[in-house]
Amino acid sequence: MLVEFELITRAQGGDAAAFNQVVTAYRRRILGTISRLIGRPEDVEDVAQEVFVRLYFSLEQLRTPEVFEPWLYRLTVNACYDYLRKSRRRLEFRMADLSDQQVMMADAAAGTRVQDDDTEKRRVKDTVNNLLGSVSEDDRILLTLKEVEGLSLKELEKIYHVNENALKVRLFRARQRVLKNMKDVTQPSSRIAKKTDRLP
Amino acid sequence: MFKRLMKTEERNPNEGRLDELFRAYRESSPDPEPGANFMPQMWSKIEVREASTNWFGSMAKALVTAALAASVILGMLMSSMNQSSAFYNGTFVDALVKEHTASLEPLHLDRLSELEMERQ
Repeated sequence: MLVEFELITRAQGGDAAAFNQVVTAYRRRILGTISRLIGRPEDVEDVAQEVFVRLYFSLEQLRTPEVFEPWLYRLTVNACYDYLRKSRRRLEFRMADLSDQQVMMADAAAGTRVQDDDTEKRRVKDTVNNLLGSVSEDDRILLTLKEVEGLSLKELEKIYHVNENALKVRLFRARQRVLKNMKDVTQPSSRIAKKTDRLP
Repeated sequence: MFKRLMKTEERNPNEGRLDELFRAYRESSPDPEPGANFMPQMWSKIEVREASTNWFGSMAKALVTAALAASVILGMLMSSMNQSSAFYNGTFVDALVKEHTASLEPLHLDRLSELEMERQ
């Protein structure tokens, strides 16, 4: 927990200063989660503000401050779903693009030294975005929360309101779908060989 | 079932690579800093929503009050109309009986002899 339970209780009681402190403590983390879930930097602040507005109006429904964090994550995930549904701005990741990205990764893996650190970071981001974009929205959000945000199964249980086993199965299947799309990355030499064959 | 699934997972050679990619992705995308206007904008959104909630709330209250007042007034009107009704609620036979009560007065046998004596 980034804040004391007492602060949440005070915010629940209508203390605006306490609510401000709660928002200040969590806003960066929420902004980060949203940016990785929606992939549109220009709209991240808007969605984060929406999360905190919803938090303000529903805080009194929170029964115990102990479940505050999963509850805030639930609000965040719901706001992201609403955003994606409403604006229909989800990036269209085509398999053709994915293959190009994979070829780039393969090139890098085969020995093309990447001098620029930012370029490398961008490549990783693009690859993961493409991989996550190749599966359903549900899979992408679940995998991002688990693998990127680092939420535990217990925390995910509270967010999704499903038991641990069901979550494990969903996670496993989501991972399998992603793995299916990154098969080529592990065989760089064959792809590069094919590419080289076509060179004049 | 999950154990069976896990066995398949263990065999997948890309598992480690995917974990590595996720870890690198997390490192390459740090949490962004909120803008200077984050808090003021958030509070103005809260105020706008609060105002609209209050407006809807007061409208709903006003509507409920108006509906209650209208039903009370209608109830009073109906009851007063029933009391001072210009229409007769009885049946046709009742109305006839009421109209001819005088002519249909019962015979007084004790007065018959008096009438006969007067005639003589």
